[in-house]
Amino acid sequence: MQIELKSLRPYPIPDKFIPDSEVWEKNLHIESGRKCLLSAQSGKGKSTLLHVLYGLRRDCSGEAFLDGRSVFSNTAEEWEALRKTRISLLFQDLKLFPQLTARDNLGLIPETNPKAPPVDEMLAQVGMEQFCNQPVETLSFGQRQRIALLRALRKPFELLLLDEPFSHLDEENTDHACRLIVETVERNQASLIISSLGDDPPISFDERFRL
Amino acid sequence: MNRSQERSMREAVRAKGSGWEIWIASLGCLLGSSLLILAVQLYQDSNRFFDEQVSPSNFFTLNKKIHGGALVNMGKGEKTFTQEELDQIEKMDGVMRTGGFTRNKFPLTLYIWPSGKVGLGAAAKTDLFFESIPDEFLDYVPDGWNWDENSSTVPIIVPKFYLDLWNFGLAPSRVEYPTLSNEAATGMPIELFIGNNREVTLEGRFVAFSKRINSVLVPESFLSQANEKYGKPDASQYFFLWKDGAVDGPPRTLGFLRDLPEEQKQSGEVSPIDSPAERKPISEILAAQTSDTHLPSRIIVQIEGSPSDAFLAKLEKEGYEINREFPEQDLVKKITNAIFLGMAIIGVLFSISSIATFATSFRLVVTQASEPATNLLLLGFPSDSLTKLFFQRFVLIFIPVFLFALVLGFGLQYLLSQVGKKVGIDMESGLSIWTLVFATIYCILFLVVNRAAIEKSVDNLAK
Repeated sequence: MQIELKSLRPYPIPDKFIPDSEVWEKNLHIESGRKCLLSAQSGKGKSTLLHVLYGLRRDCSGEAFLDGRSVFSNTAEEWEALRKTRISLLFQDLKLFPQLTARDNLGLIPETNPKAPPVDEMLAQVGMEQFCNQPVETLSFGQRQRIALLRALRKPFELLLLDEPFSHLDEENTDHACRLIVETVERNQASLIISSLGDDPPISFDERFRL
Repeated sequence: MNRSQERSMREAVRAKGSGWEIWIASLGCLLGSSLLILAVQLYQDSNRFFDEQVSPSNFFTLNKKIHGGALVNMGKGEKTFTQEELDQIEKMDGVMRTGGFTRNKFPLTLYIWPSGKVGLGAAAKTDLFFESIPDEFLDYVPDGWNWDENSSTVPIIVPKFYLDLWNFGLAPSRVEYPTLSNEAATGMPIELFIGNNREVTLEGRFVAFSKRINSVLVPESFLSQANEKYGKPDASQYFFLWKDGAVDGPPRTLGFLRDLPEEQKQSGEVSPIDSPAERKPISEILAAQTSDTHLPSRIIVQIEGSPSDAFLAKLEKEGYEINREFPEQDLVKKITNAIFLGMAIIGVLFSISSIATFATSFRLVVTQASEPATNLLLLGFPSDSLTKLFFQRFVLIFIPVFLFALVLGFGLQYLLSQVGKKVGIDMESGLSIWTLVFATIYCILFLVVNRAAIEKSVDNLAK
């Protein structure tokens, strides 16, 4: 999915962060199938940008386009369709259902990505197969983060947005997760945007942006 | 969406802490729905009951008001209706038909033998009158009502309350008179003495007791023949004949006047015996008498349903007097309808509050589940699927409550119908098709309103 930003600037971002940013109030064009890293300290708008691209925020000046269509002109029904089949987002706060098991959480998506690996294979790849039948509320944050990542990968997507996906993962689990992400993104020939606090995950990014 | 997903979705949005509101809404719904269903059913039952009753409220007798005391009215003739007045009454709104009472024109004395045999024990003796009306105005035509010249007994119908007066008034106060059942009363021999000196004796028998007509009735065929045979002109048919400025001899009958030579009819004058100074030409008196001879002084009127206030006011204005049974019947119907209307209003209020409570409760349920519900929307689930999820939960609560209300309404109606049967009110048991149609519409309304409320709440989350 092609992404284009034109002088985009969220209203809550303080003026002092704007001149040094490579994104805010700049014109950006990201071609389909590119892997991008957004890195910045807290409060500089990493989640905000991902939420704008997912249709959750409109408090911005400038424009943002997905495949040439302004994200601000989409109707609720159009966003419903986009989220169902074309864009997948891993939220920073995960938005899992704590009383459900990990496996039930992975099943609770409106449509399954046919190009994603089977659930058990994915669970095994991130070391979660033995926890999959536990309610999510009994898992650690790192474990939950991996389940939320798998859920995002199990949805069909042309654009994958991952908001600080490795913040609670150790190096080994980060490596495993990154391999799974790259494999799935490439199978789907999708675009990828990962936000990070500054760490550089082991993925070969096509583009890197500092906010 | 597969079953496992549906189950997970239901589980995901299950919120704690909304139970008691839903219990209250369910209770309100149960009470309101039961009351409403029962009120609708009982309203139909009561209307059917009043319609099916051969109710006195559809019939009443009408006469002109009588003013003044005995001395004033002594010797005065009957206050008969004129033909114009009868025509006017027939044309009034709601009047179906009218019939005139014919009265006996001879003195009549009855000896009633309660022992069952003439001459055995004490007889109840009374001077009485007879009237007749067309048979179609009777409560029903009883066996033995037909009379012809060859009949050995005269059938008589008396008001039911005459028998009550006998049983609860006269009989307890006189040892020689027994109390009488309907059957015993119809078996009593009655001697009818006609004439001041009891010149003619006939046999009579009570054949029925009327709840509708407050009179002593005999067949029209008997009364017309008896009047012709034994009838005597009344005071209104006696006149003073004037000659040379003075009354000439004793009062004369109409028959006498009719037989006068034509010349004298034109020139002569007469005056009624109750107002001797009001002299009028003989020809005028004869003409008036000819046209009024068969006009009744009392009529029976059948109307559609109960008389309206406007109808009663008009009768009052015209100076007519009516028997007073039907206003009480009408009042009973009005009170009954008012009770059911009251029940229906309370039922509607309960139902409205229960619809509102349900709607509020489910908005609360949606609000309490707003976080998981919003997460589902963010994952791309359509808002319709969430609305469906919450609506299914509502239906699972509402439908059993509603069915229970139907059963409760049915049960209460059955109980009331059994109680009604014990006091002589014949009601059908069970709910009518109209009540079920009403209940279905009510159920659909309940579902539609609550679905709309849920849909709105979910849409608010999606925004």
